[in-house]
Amino acid sequence: GGAYWVDSQQKRYVPVKGDHVIGIVTAKAGDVFKLDVGGSEQASLSYLAFEGATKRNRPNVQVGDLIYGQFLVANKDMEPEMVCIDSSGRSSGMGIIGQDGFLFKVSLGLIRKLLAPKCEIIQELSQLYPFELVLGMNGRIWVKAKTVQQTLIIVNILEACEYMTAEQRKQALAKLSGN
Amino acid sequence: ATALSTHPLGERLCSAEEATAGSGTYTRHGFIFSSLAGCVEKRSEDGGLPVVSVVRDAESQLLPDVGAVVTCKVCSINSRFAKVHILYVGSTPLKSAFRGTIRREDIRATEKDKVEVYKSFRPGDIVLAKVISLGDAQSNYLLSTAENELGVVVARSEAGVQMVPISWCEMQCPRTHTKDFRKVARVQPQFLQT
Repeated sequence: GGAYWVDSQQKRYVPVKGDHVIGIVTAKAGDVFKLDVGGSEQASLSYLAFEGATKRNRPNVQVGDLIYGQFLVANKDMEPEMVCIDSSGRSSGMGIIGQDGFLFKVSLGLIRKLLAPKCEIIQELSQLYPFELVLGMNGRIWVKAKTVQQTLIIVNILEACEYMTAEQRKQALAKLSGN
Repeated sequence: ATALSTHPLGERLCSAEEATAGSGTYTRHGFIFSSLAGCVEKRSEDGGLPVVSVVRDAESQLLPDVGAVVTCKVCSINSRFAKVHILYVGSTPLKSAFRGTIRREDIRATEKDKVEVYKSFRPGDIVLAKVISLGDAQSNYLLSTAENELGVVVARSEAGVQMVPISWCEMQCPRTHTKDFRKVARVQPQFLQT
């Protein structure tokens, strides 16, 4: 059958099981990393929860790194737990996000709009410059393009998409591709 | 015959020839000293010297012993254990709550590795448990619910209504009819009140 949900606008993220988010590593405590995901509590991530990780082969994670992962455990009574592998043990795009690039925060509603299939904003932007994009359900976006200038242009457009109409966006992009 | 009077700690009570040392006292250099701060009790024995003892309160605190069934309230849960406050030992309430821990492997007797603490207890639940150890340096009693008669007795649903047990692992809210997972205790009929 179908599903009903109420779409609301909020900025504060509440961890939900199964959500893919971008976390920032804040501490290494033995076998577990502590990540800031923008919620009320820090999430924990075991070093074994990466593809191909064993006790001898540990992932190279430092404090300050960005991690794209999903929640294994997320409820109001317990500390959230994240993993970077899916149920079959494959990473499927999750793991440590590479060097450089730019991380910024937007509202949760915009993320959901960008994650919708065949999102117009993403399609129009990809016509402009090639870039790498990671969207976290906790309102965080990571962008990396060839140069710093291109990266910042994409960041500004994504941030402005919150309040621009489709017409205004097309005008802005037309001006940029004209330059 | 007993006589009560308050004395400070460490005071010399009497000579060892006049009385025998009871609880809360010790003998040194032929005299009886008190080792607790409290009231001195002198009880006369039938055959022999009177017994001198020092008691802190009128009734002594009942301490949970290994093997005792205690009633506790869950304060926080973790993926490895649940922390509880021990409220009753048997049927006597405690004046101050002790802290206890129920480890993940002590929640159930069978299929211990498939246990999820989140599906057995939640913060706020009232749980019947058995003391398995008096605890470590942090003085947390180690408890176990690995029996049919032990586990959750009272739990509230998200709606705030007390839930009704429907099996050993599920409870249902009578208002919203949502089912929640808990490790439910099979309370014996003689302890149930209707």
